[in-house]
Amino acid sequence: MAKGKITYSTIRGDSPGYYALVCVLGALSLAGFGSAFMMFSQGHYITGMTNAVPWGLPIVIAIYLIGLSAGSLVLSALSSVFGKTEFKAFSRMASLLAALLMISALISIVLDWGKPERILVPFFSINPRSMFSLNGMLYSAYITICFVYLWAMFNEKEKLVKIIGFTAVFWAVLVHSGTGAIFGFVGARELFHSPLLPPSFIAAALSSGTALMIMVLYFTFRFTGRKLDEELLRRLGFYLAMFIIVVAYFVFIENITRSYWPSNYAMQKFLLLSGNKYSLIFWLGMVGCGLVFPFVILINPATGKSVRWILVASALVVTGVLAERYTIVIPGQVLPLEIFPGMNVTSDFQDGQINDYSISLAETLYGLGLTSLVFFLYVLALKFFELMPEEAVIASDIPDTSGTGKN
Amino acid sequence: MSELDRRIFLKLGAAAVIGTTLAPGITLFQAFAQDETEGRTSSKDRWGMVIDTNKCTADCTECTAACRTENNVPLFGDPRYDGHWIRKVTVTPKTDGAHSRSLPLLCNHCEHPPCQHVCPVAATFTREDGIVMIDKHRCIGCRYCMIACPYKARTFVFKNTEKWSNPDVPKRGKGVVEKCTFCAHRIDKGQIPSCVEACNKSGEKAMVFGNLNDPNSEIVQYIREHAPKGLREDLGLEPKVFYKGI
Ligand code: SF4
Ligand code: SF4
Repeated sequence: MAKGKITYSTIRGDSPGYYALVCVLGALSLAGFGSAFMMFSQGHYITGMTNAVPWGLPIVIAIYLIGLSAGSLVLSALSSVFGKTEFKAFSRMASLLAALLMISALISIVLDWGKPERILVPFFSINPRSMFSLNGMLYSAYITICFVYLWAMFNEKEKLVKIIGFTAVFWAVLVHSGTGAIFGFVGARELFHSPLLPPSFIAAALSSGTALMIMVLYFTFRFTGRKLDEELLRRLGFYLAMFIIVVAYFVFIENITRSYWPSNYAMQKFLLLSGNKYSLIFWLGMVGCGLVFPFVILINPATGKSVRWILVASALVVTGVLAERYTIVIPGQVLPLEIFPGMNVTSDFQDGQINDYSISLAETLYGLGLTSLVFFLYVLALKFFELMPEEAVIASDIPDTSGTGKN
Repeated sequence: MSELDRRIFLKLGAAAVIGTTLAPGITLFQAFAQDETEGRTSSKDRWGMVIDTNKCTADCTECTAACRTENNVPLFGDPRYDGHWIRKVTVTPKTDGAHSRSLPLLCNHCEHPPCQHVCPVAATFTREDGIVMIDKHRCIGCRYCMIACPYKARTFVFKNTEKWSNPDVPKRGKGVVEKCTFCAHRIDKGQIPSCVEACNKSGEKAMVFGNLNDPNSEIVQYIREHAPKGLREDLGLEPKVFYKGI
């Protein structure tokens, strides 16, 4: 444990800049809820969803936020579980953010239902075979764990912190595997059905979550004028580069396996080579922004040490993983179901044809709003609770016990 | 358990579940999921259908029209949102463009229905006689079932509609998923599904409906003789709608 005790304090939060930020985030969140209400009162036809593509941006955003939350929780566990005491100062902020991201994700899922007013039904009526039903429990327990973790940290119950830290890491693995399984277990759709989805969800969660934390930490410390040791961001940048490699490996294996077998040629051609928006999002968004560009930035000695460049890389990853989420959810529905293999199919219900999905204005506001909600609550919480350390520095007299902390 | 006992039990259970957000509600689930059709259906029956694609013609839409009227399947004038419980599909082998077939596609009432497996609130259930149904009062409209059904047999109610042709079949409001019920309300009265009736009356007599458990039924005889196939049998769902001639 760090010798110099970390002091946490609330932020002043009385500058015009702070109020402006709160107002903007609050307004965006309201817009999000407004569009959710429109969906509720008008029906889902105001979204881009159709009978052929029944899941749209709200699901993309939900699994995106769930993923982002993993990184935060793992960061907060780095010190208590993995002995990386230099990150202890961030634990409170990170676990709060983890909880907020998950709460927002749950809201995004529920408000996307055709009948959000039936919110209590899943509590009474459980289907243990449904990944949605199981995940509902995993997610709520996760939120609970985050808050207990916070409580333990606030009350400096070191032993409890450690135990919950372990639980949290274990639970995060369940949560992300479970989220991947929502898609991976669906045998009806070639692009979903894959045992790789649960582990690759964990990997993408780690990379996007770490990237988000780097940005949140940098800007929070910068705007509050508190001291943040740049070396800490560099170390996180190193972890980020490692996580990117794992994600890239999964993406590669998944696609090379599919592309190998002739029955998948048409599908892979559509996804990788067609030049339509789905393949653009795949290559530019998921592969470019999510993997290649940030990785090059992070491992290049000229840029990898610069905080500015690390921030650029993080922003790229956060964007790239959104593209990855989109690529998981949407193309698998856009491609027609193979009901009659070896046949050309036509009907007045778009059978056999490639469907279209375009994000509507209502969905854009919805996604933006629920993402803003996270930061709206985060910024407010910083003002009312002692979450932020006065400073985050690497104490030079703490030996790096793990031996791998250097990059 | 008496009705009152059950209610109290449920209320207590509900409080506990909400309190913890976690308690595994398996017992609750079982108490709740009592088959609402109890007494009317029998596990002795197993309803199924055969479609002879050699008889079905491309320009005939008797079955789909009859279903729309019978079951109040909504039309919004926008093909992306229209409800479909049964639809006409034309299939042409990629290797033989001249050999086209027309056929109706509907819910297969799979023996192992993935739509039911994924439904988080058990709103989709299988009756004792094998008909897969949706409880519109319980469905939360999450649409996971639409993702899981390999036959695109389910549609979502995208908006409310005032059209209501048949009061025997309750209207679904926006926000829930709906699909073919094999006209369960008619079966319970001893009738056959309205698509089959329409096909027999004014169509090409391309559909056979009956009890797969009854060795003397027309459908079992037909299956023995012609060995029709289910769609995508490789998926292992054991669909109960069979096609001859594709
Ligand atoms: S055809 Fe689709 S909707 Fe019908 S039982 Fe099978 S999986 Fe469910
Ligand atoms: S949309 Fe309704 S029937 Fe379908 S999975 Fe969700 S709750 Fe079940």
